[in-house]
Amino acid sequence: MTSDSPTDFFTRFGASLLVWLKSWRAVSRFTAVAIVEALSPSTYNSATRSVVLKQIYFTAWQILPRFTLFSALLSYVLIQIVVDTARNFGLADYALEGVIRLLVLEVLPLMTALFVALRSGAATGTEVVLMNIHNEIRAMEESGIDPLRFELIPRVIGGVISVLALTAVTSALALLFAYFVVYGLQYWNLPDFARVMAHIFDLPALAILWAKVLAFGLAVTVIPITEALAAPQKLFFAPIAVLRGMVRLFFVLMLIEVLSLALKYI
Amino acid sequence: MERAPVRAPLIKNLEFKVGLLLALTLALAVAFIAYTLYSRGVFERTQRLVLVADNAEGVSIGMPISFSGFPVGQVERMSLTDEGKVRIEMSIPVKDAKWLRNSSVFTLEKSLVGSAKIRAITTNLKDTILADNAERPLYTGDAAQEIPELIIKVRDVVTNLQNLTDKQSSLNQSMANLQTVTGRMAGQYGVMGGILGAEENSRKVVDAIDRANTLLASLNGVSLKVDSVLTKTDQRLYGQGGVMDETQKAVVQINSILTDARESLKKADAILKNTQGITSDIKGATTDLGTLRAQVDDSLTRVNGMINELNRKWPFSHDAEVKLP
Repeated sequence: MTSDSPTDFFTRFGASLLVWLKSWRAVSRFTAVAIVEALSPSTYNSATRSVVLKQIYFTAWQILPRFTLFSALLSYVLIQIVVDTARNFGLADYALEGVIRLLVLEVLPLMTALFVALRSGAATGTEVVLMNIHNEIRAMEESGIDPLRFELIPRVIGGVISVLALTAVTSALALLFAYFVVYGLQYWNLPDFARVMAHIFDLPALAILWAKVLAFGLAVTVIPITEALAAPQKLFFAPIAVLRGMVRLFFVLMLIEVLSLALKYI
Repeated sequence: MERAPVRAPLIKNLEFKVGLLLALTLALAVAFIAYTLYSRGVFERTQRLVLVADNAEGVSIGMPISFSGFPVGQVERMSLTDEGKVRIEMSIPVKDAKWLRNSSVFTLEKSLVGSAKIRAITTNLKDTILADNAERPLYTGDAAQEIPELIIKVRDVVTNLQNLTDKQSSLNQSMANLQTVTGRMAGQYGVMGGILGAEENSRKVVDAIDRANTLLASLNGVSLKVDSVLTKTDQRLYGQGGVMDETQKAVVQINSILTDARESLKKADAILKNTQGITSDIKGATTDLGTLRAQVDDSLTRVNGMINELNRKWPFSHDAEVKLP
């Protein structure tokens, strides 16, 4: 740095800023296209459906038993800790609400997104990088098939649905556990439970939760794919592209989480 | 890892599995939304109850109203009236409305920890059911509000108590003194011992009383004697031929002597008039002067004698002859 003149420094700073902005622009553009494509019925034909199904199968179905078991265990432990602590402080009335807010609104969606990102986000990124390096994408373009529409966007759709499905399953389990840990194995307290649920899930909370889970689902596929597409077509760059995609994905997931918290509590 | 299966689509029942997962997700999502709507009372027929409070601090939308610890409704809307009171609109499910009667009382309770609670208290369940849109006052009982005041009072009480029970405290000393006094009272001289302190003092008092008794007895004798003396004195003074009697006689004599003296002085006055014409009748005058002088001498001698007599008879003069026993 010391040997550089100020001009060089600013040039380099500007260049890196431009690259950064460009990659973010690519991410947002791809996200916008994916949302539009996912909402237009013409996207769904037998070819894309097959990709979507496989994406869901690999991202959600394959890991469903193990992931459900793991999240159930985690939920149970966390619920026990929160409920016991609340009881010790004489705040048992608030244990259920606290536990549901903690798990269903925050921990489980974020954990699902991280899990899917680690498992399928990395895999999808690697796959797309290799497709790009092997010129498969260009080949498709040349043969008149839109790679975005037939290969990439179905993966995004699959990824979003997978995150939604996993979050739904784990959250439902967490709610069941929360009820039984707090009230015991009986159903007479369902009105109480309903009241707490009504208190937590008002319209803004529901909207924020849905938006957050959808944003997680988009992020875990969109970011690795854009990073992969932006990488030079050299095998040497494949790991770098995957790594950068994962780092950025992690950053984005945290940003979404913080944003949702800020929206809810500030 | 994922690449190989994509190329070789040999997954059994792929569509079924994914369909199952999607259906499950969809079912969960729909059930969840339906449940939250249900829990918010969307599908329930409700009636309205309006509670009017002075202060709605701690009340929030969705807060339950409880009857015997069970929620029977919740806060739906809150607004300030023109009078500065808070209008809390509650929705009561029709099935729970039976717990609220016309005579029910509604309270807002704030505790130290946790949020406020709205409670409905119904003592007479035979009263008529509260009508829809009924308006009732909400009474506020705030335990936390009185605590600082209470603490100050309790601190005062404790300080006072501490002062009372202190070793140097007046109460303690009084108690110690009382103990000494009662100890003495139990001693030889009883209550007097308690009052006078040392045993010696008590003995002195007893002695003094004894002496006073003796003194009184002798005084009695003295007074008897004094009595007889007084009787005798009376006799001497006022009796027949007593001092007073003699004095009265003397006074009569004095009167006559004084009359004589006045006569003599009148004559002297006349003589002095005559002396005015002394030059003309010196001879006659000198003759008269000799007679006058003899008369004045006589009067003076008599006065002198009378005074001597009086002096002798007067009982309280220096060399009186009357002597009291």
